[in-house]
Amino acid sequence: MLSQRQMTDNRPVYLNLIKIRLPLTGIVSFAHRISGVLLFLFIPFSVYLLDLSVQSAESFAAVKQLLDQPLMLAVQLLILWSIAHHFFAGIRFLLIDAEIGVEKSQARIGSWLVFLAEAIAILLIVVGVCS
Amino acid sequence: MSLYVLEGLRPWVIQRVSAVYLVLFFIYATYCYFSADVIAYDAWKGWLYNPFNTTVTGIFVIAILFHAWIGMRDVVLDYVHNIMIRIFILAVLVGVLIGSGLWVFRILLLSVVA
Repeated sequence: MLSQRQMTDNRPVYLNLIKIRLPLTGIVSFAHRISGVLLFLFIPFSVYLLDLSVQSAESFAAVKQLLDQPLMLAVQLLILWSIAHHFFAGIRFLLIDAEIGVEKSQARIGSWLVFLAEAIAILLIVVGVCS
Repeated sequence: MSLYVLEGLRPWVIQRVSAVYLVLFFIYATYCYFSADVIAYDAWKGWLYNPFNTTVTGIFVIAILFHAWIGMRDVVLDYVHNIMIRIFILAVLVGVLIGSGLWVFRILLLSVVA
């Protein structure tokens, strides 16, 4: 006889990350985690830029120049996505904590709303910053 | 084996309270950015070293450090199971967060000194 522990340990584990199809709610959740880690990684760099931006008019101009480089524009877009997704998915989680949108069909609608809201927010901010 | 740095409901509550503050701050900051006439050195310094903005930014820094700590701690506890590696990564996280926090407070308080 196998003990309970041995039975659970000997179960076949099939974790092919490419073949796992997360439901939409799972994608929102996992992207919330990824964006959170990205935002953490950006903290030291952001503080460095903040320091440069207040030191002198020259260093402020240097920050602007640095951020205008193509690679930095891509990085800024990544930060913008991270903030937008973390922001709206986070609000969704707060609402779920308040027991709003927990039911399955509502949870799916909520996930779509998160993607819709972040797409609109990113679009508006990119257009607003460029114009 | 587990390493719970804060136990029970407390981190859960801190994560949500800080989240609400961060939402409000981001709305305020975005509003300020888009209602600014020019994005230039003097205007930017004027905004940051306005006492109200320095204060809400200071609270923002505290909120984001706690929020980032709890979030990153949860990620590490989920994926890193070796206790020594876990302690090492958590220690690095604390160092990065406290270092960044002190650096921002130095920047925010420069206006008081200068």
